[in-house]
Amino acid sequence: MITRAKTANWTITLLIAAGSLIVLFPLYMTVMIAVKSPAQIAESVLAIPAEWHWSNFAEAVRMTNFGHVFKNSFIITSLAVVLTILTNSFVGYAVARNIKKRFFKFLYYYFVSALFVPFPIIMLPIVKEMAYFNLNNHTGLIVLYVVYGIAFNMFLYVGYLRSLPTELDEAAMIDGASVWQTFWKVIFPLLGPINATVGILTCIWAWNDFLLPLIILSKPDMATLPLAQYIFQSRFSVNYNVAFASYLMALLPMVLVYLVAQRWIINGVVQGAVK
Amino acid sequence: MKKTLFILMVAVLMISILAGCASSSNSNKSGETKDAQQVELQFFQYKPEARDTFDKLIAKFEEQYPHIKVVQDNPPDASTVLKTKIAAGEIPDVIANGGDNVHAMLATSGVLADLSAAPELKNITESYIQILKDITGTDEVYAIPYGVNANGVIYNKALFKELGLTVPATWDEFVKLSQTIQEAGRLPFYFTFKDSWTTLPSFNAFGASTQGDQYFAKRKEKQTSFAEGYKEAAEKYLQFISFGQKDSFGKGYNDGNAAFANGESVMYAQGVWAISEIKKINPEIELGVFPYPVTNDPDQNKLISGVDQLLSISAKSEHPDEAKLFIRFLMNPDNAKNYVQGVNTFSAIKGVTQDDPSVAELIPVFEKGLVSDFPDHYIPSSMKLDQLLQELILKQKTEPFLQSMDEAYDNSLNR
Amino acid sequence: MKKNARTFYMMVIPAFVMFFAFHTFPVLLGIFYSFTNWNGFAQNYDFVGFKNYLHVFKDESIYAAYGFTFQFAILTTVIVNVVSLTIAMGLNARIKFKNFFRGVYFLPNVLSLLIVGYIFNYIFSNMLPNFFQNIQMKDWAFNILGTTEWAWLGIVIVTVWQATAFNIILYLAGLQTIPTDMYEASSIDGASKWKEFWHITFPMIAPFFTINMVLSMKNFLMVFDQIVALTSGGPAKSTMSISYLIYTDGFSGGSFAYQSANSVIYFVVIVIISIVQLKYLQRREMNL
Repeated sequence: MITRAKTANWTITLLIAAGSLIVLFPLYMTVMIAVKSPAQIAESVLAIPAEWHWSNFAEAVRMTNFGHVFKNSFIITSLAVVLTILTNSFVGYAVARNIKKRFFKFLYYYFVSALFVPFPIIMLPIVKEMAYFNLNNHTGLIVLYVVYGIAFNMFLYVGYLRSLPTELDEAAMIDGASVWQTFWKVIFPLLGPINATVGILTCIWAWNDFLLPLIILSKPDMATLPLAQYIFQSRFSVNYNVAFASYLMALLPMVLVYLVAQRWIINGVVQGAVK
Repeated sequence: MKKTLFILMVAVLMISILAGCASSSNSNKSGETKDAQQVELQFFQYKPEARDTFDKLIAKFEEQYPHIKVVQDNPPDASTVLKTKIAAGEIPDVIANGGDNVHAMLATSGVLADLSAAPELKNITESYIQILKDITGTDEVYAIPYGVNANGVIYNKALFKELGLTVPATWDEFVKLSQTIQEAGRLPFYFTFKDSWTTLPSFNAFGASTQGDQYFAKRKEKQTSFAEGYKEAAEKYLQFISFGQKDSFGKGYNDGNAAFANGESVMYAQGVWAISEIKKINPEIELGVFPYPVTNDPDQNKLISGVDQLLSISAKSEHPDEAKLFIRFLMNPDNAKNYVQGVNTFSAIKGVTQDDPSVAELIPVFEKGLVSDFPDHYIPSSMKLDQLLQELILKQKTEPFLQSMDEAYDNSLNR
Repeated sequence: MKKNARTFYMMVIPAFVMFFAFHTFPVLLGIFYSFTNWNGFAQNYDFVGFKNYLHVFKDESIYAAYGFTFQFAILTTVIVNVVSLTIAMGLNARIKFKNFFRGVYFLPNVLSLLIVGYIFNYIFSNMLPNFFQNIQMKDWAFNILGTTEWAWLGIVIVTVWQATAFNIILYLAGLQTIPTDMYEASSIDGASKWKEFWHITFPMIAPFFTINMVLSMKNFLMVFDQIVALTSGGPAKSTMSISYLIYTDGFSGGSFAYQSANSVIYFVVIVIISIVQLKYLQRREMNL
């Protein structure tokens, strides 16, 4: 057992490699279709083309107004991430440090129990409500991500803060710091790992979300990347090359972020689920 | 490692910000030309086939009226999106829908402005105004009919010639014709039921020619049932569907347009709105259209024609004058002609003709008055007729289908 | 110290108000609408009591949607967990390029489900039929999304492809908590691999199994994006999920109040399931 464990197990390596092809295949196909002309697709979908048609991307950019849509997604996602971290963290802090008081205990269970509420019951009324407050736009969408995020992030922050000794706060307060000062100067810098987790989860959610933009955003020029793919479905018609160029461009930013921050993302997701 | 990571992150951020700036500077440009009276009209229209034509007309309009910007919105599943918007209180200024139950619901819910007194109605063929009144069930008119469609069988003239076929006038001839095509090893029809709405155009024809007079008025009063009035339609419809390809539920509307344009089937069961899409794929194709020969009496076989595009204004629009200006612009005979040429439908405006040879055969049918509105414009959308038809085709049984039709119709009256 | 207590309240009250306004209030509003006959945009509406609820219980298309959604969610939960646990164990074994494969398997988690759906739509509609046509297996050359018998499979495949990533990572984290000397002890006893799995591995990762089951089930019961990208609920309602039905019918069918009643019932069903699931799985965990 011990000797066998030290050398690599090639059978399992091969099986795992074969399985990973299933993951990679659709992505490979996407790239191949995106760089071919319709005639080349008709000839072979999967072969590497002799001539690469980069013009598909230009066409997709023009058709879907990619720059504008990308900017929408970028602004919404980055603001949602930043505001979620800045606000949800101190709410979690206040709850974690007062969890013995009845009101804060109630709040904890109030936020967490919202995880069991299925979205469909909110779907119809929230459209009405957001319109009533003139929030059927980017601002409204960001507000919803930040507010709905509390339900799960409460879990994360309270769990993490319990592992931080309260002596830290007490020491700061004896030095005359207020609660806010203590939080921003002493506690917040220590929340790095859990902030990363919250940020990553919010980023994946907000960037890829389709349902909320679909029902909340009222004007076509507000569309986010997934919503734009939906809106332009019929416009692509049977021009699969342009459609796939557009899909690829919509997927690529997250893939790049993933390549750069893979370890943090994986750790973040594990932290998020295990806590 | 950490350092490279950091540099990469910064690079990604920079690129994103640059991309953001690049596109925001674009929007600034249009912002600079805005003066105090700049008005933006939200224009919602439901026909994907008309999008490019409207883009051109809008460009022309904006040139004439530089202070008005028209934003065309043409989403997929348009009626759901439109109703979501309206439920959210975000009503587009100008709404171009079909003359169907969606229009009826908007009109009776007070979403649309009353246009009964609009001078533009004087130029419209009277019967189309009546159709709108029938659909909404009101004496007021809430929209101006603009485009009128025709829904028949589109056929490939070259292939008809090659196989020595003539246009059928009766049901028996129609069946015979389809069999001859099959025997010649060709495909009579290419169906596209993955998009459930494409079950509807042909079914409308079968219904309209067999349901009898005043059917929906009677059905509402429960004097008749679908089991009674739609039996023949359902049976013939199934026989008709059997002339399609095997994987008809695996293909969508876009696939069908491409397949028919490339000669994969001899006929195509779509309204004339599909012609412009087909010609985009194969500009050389020679097409004709004939009414569905549903019965053996040629005088009973009606061409299905309804208001395909109407123009309505939101009752709460902040720019009613500009909205009217835009409608008046679209109604201008030259522009209306551009529209029917681009979309390949007919105009509701008197004196504006459709000269495309592919639909020339339909003009005598119109003149004879052998025309009927789409029955499904009188069927509530909550009935989901398209999905019931998918079920009918898959199960090949008319009785349960007719029974669900009756149940669903009664249910929808209950809501 | 009293001032501090006040600050703590200041920190949470806005969040409480916002959460109530944008989460709890719409739930209450939905319950309110479910007792009316509102179509979503008319000026007036009336109260109709429990009429909507009575009709929901008689509505075949709603039963069909529940049937599809639950069958889909249960089946997909099982497949995703079996597949991801298998792969996680593979990744945890002594293999080459461990980090690379881990990265590949986790990639789908960051991709948009809607766009992944569009990509698979092409595979099902064009690539596979053409492939079977070319290798002369014409009976297989059809689009599975166009059949009532197999369309659900397309939705399951897309979901498994995308969702397995998340579960793999969790199981992997679980497997890494097992100290290797536990296996060494068992290998001395000559335990078979299969026994080893059930007696050591599985009990040790039971908490992760619980999390995965609960989270997967919860996500799959909300299935929406895949339906939009692949089938729009068709053919003939065979893949109509509850979320998609409430969206399309609630706005498009003009049955705003009616679908509100449906969503209230769904809410109750989900709460009951969540409680039962948690209780059952937690008890199992203790017994193991």
